[in-house]
Amino acid sequence: MNDAPILLAEDNPDDVLLTRRAFSKNGFDNPIIAVPDGEACLDALLPADGPAIHPALVLLDINLPKVGGLEVLYRLRADPRTRTVPVVILTTSREQRDVLEGYRLGANSYVCKPVSFTTFVAVVRTLATYWLRVNEPRPHTGAAP
Amino acid sequence: MRQRPGTTGARAGLRSALTPTALVVAAVVVVCLLDLALAIRAHDDASHRSPLLSLPPFAEALALGAICLLALGAAARSRMALLRSETARVSADEDAKRLLQVIDNSSAVIYMRDADGRYLLVNSRFEQLFGVKREEIVGMTDFDIFPPEVAADFRANDLKALASGGAIQAEETAPQSDGPHTYITVKYPITDPSGRHYAICGISTDITDLKRVEEEARSLNTGLETRVRERTAELEASTRELDAFAYSVSHDLRAPLRAVAGFSELLLEDYGRGLDPTGRDYLGRVVAATSRMSRLIDDLLTLSRATRAELSWRPVDLTAIAQRILTDLRAADTDPDRPMELIVEDGLRATGDPALLELVLQNLISNAWKFTAKQDKALIHVGAERLPDGACSFFVRDSGAGFDMRYADKLFVPFQRLHSNEDFAGSGIGLAIVGRIINRHGGRIWAEGHPERGAVFRFVLPERPPGSAEGGPR
Repeated sequence: MNDAPILLAEDNPDDVLLTRRAFSKNGFDNPIIAVPDGEACLDALLPADGPAIHPALVLLDINLPKVGGLEVLYRLRADPRTRTVPVVILTTSREQRDVLEGYRLGANSYVCKPVSFTTFVAVVRTLATYWLRVNEPRPHTGAAP
Repeated sequence: MRQRPGTTGARAGLRSALTPTALVVAAVVVVCLLDLALAIRAHDDASHRSPLLSLPPFAEALALGAICLLALGAAARSRMALLRSETARVSADEDAKRLLQVIDNSSAVIYMRDADGRYLLVNSRFEQLFGVKREEIVGMTDFDIFPPEVAADFRANDLKALASGGAIQAEETAPQSDGPHTYITVKYPITDPSGRHYAICGISTDITDLKRVEEEARSLNTGLETRVRERTAELEASTRELDAFAYSVSHDLRAPLRAVAGFSELLLEDYGRGLDPTGRDYLGRVVAATSRMSRLIDDLLTLSRATRAELSWRPVDLTAIAQRILTDLRAADTDPDRPMELIVEDGLRATGDPALLELVLQNLISNAWKFTAKQDKALIHVGAERLPDGACSFFVRDSGAGFDMRYADKLFVPFQRLHSNEDFAGSGIGLAIVGRIINRHGGRIWAEGHPERGAVFRFVLPERPPGSAEGGPR
């Protein structure tokens, strides 16, 4: 099991709380690092100095302050250090252009947040099971892949 | 002594025929014909709203020229005949007076100038408008009466008529006391027996009013075009606004709803024990309401997408889509084994936007599924039928709850529901989406039903994109 942290880029504190709760409810104890905007997300993954975090999974909202989610994704994929980090877009938007753009920019998954919490817990269970248990995590060589 | 009609006599007669009186006769005939022609043309033009001043084709000018020459010939011949009679000779002066009266009563400006541009004759309209007496004008040229550029323009047209040897038509502008007036002028050369063009006759009809009307019509048209352009831009802007609105709704409206739903569920879960049954019931209602609102938002967004999505025209296999939808509905039903007769005819093919047409069938078949849910043996039939007018109509028929035809016009209006939410849940947007999509394809949709005896929804799609401007398959 991959016990690396999960990076949650989400500006709505309610959603942060509900997401944390959904993970723990499903028995996943990975630390969840929440960042409230796109800039903070990039700082965490591609710091100008200091150590970067190596999350098992990035959960990325599209509508983020400062730097939008799709722009974050673009920059992550443009940098060798984060080109292969698993990014799941977790958003409210079902807009076709967002979904298309998300995939085009290299998202690993595109998941819509349901309104019902019960459904959301089930969605998180599926996501976490796949990315933290089923999927073979990319090795940390420290070098650019 | 009786003169035998012979060359000498004829020549003499012709010479006499070409006296000013005879020319006046000719002029009058021509004036009458041309006046009539112009009047008819002006009337035609006005009633057809065609550009009022599109000059008649050159053929018409030629015809006018021919008429002039014929008229002159006729005048000459009639003059010859008259000359044979003594009484006619006596009344010749009388004649001239009468004919002058005729041209004086014409509303057109009539004048004759010699080949060098010197005036021979003008009618009284000319006198009134340009303040020159008939007696004074003989021998004057346009350069003595009009500003040089105007006179030069007139002279140029005179020369054109002389050179062409027939009638020409031109638009001329003359300064008058109340400002410039526009005339449509017919000019034609007058020929002496040797065939020399020695004078020009001109008939000018004032078309200033027509011109003004034409100008107004043109500016009205331009204004209309501008307005259409403006409205199109506005429409595009409002579509963009709608787009932005739908986008922000999809992001922003659901977020707080998720918090309401999420924390209500957590409250029930974590603190439900501390609440009495009424308290738990209330919280349950909050959660149920959030899920209804969530569906409503989804449906509104779908409606907006159906409105603004660009149509891509492709062949669509409606049979395959309908079968897939029915399979999904069966799988998702709370009672997947309930007995149902499901018929999807083979070969249902249409042209249209695949995603949107799928949405049409999704809504119609889901409705059929929903409204037959309480039946022991439900029937859903998806098929096609030729209408009396030859068009191919597709239909979705069910044996379900049906509806009262009195409310048929409300079926496709958003938020209009014919059944209570308790009987059959729904947002009241599904059929509005269907109607919108069929409309956008340039098709039509209608429904027939009876309470408790089922309903049938029929739609017709055009075989190709309506209007070539919409473009073919993209």
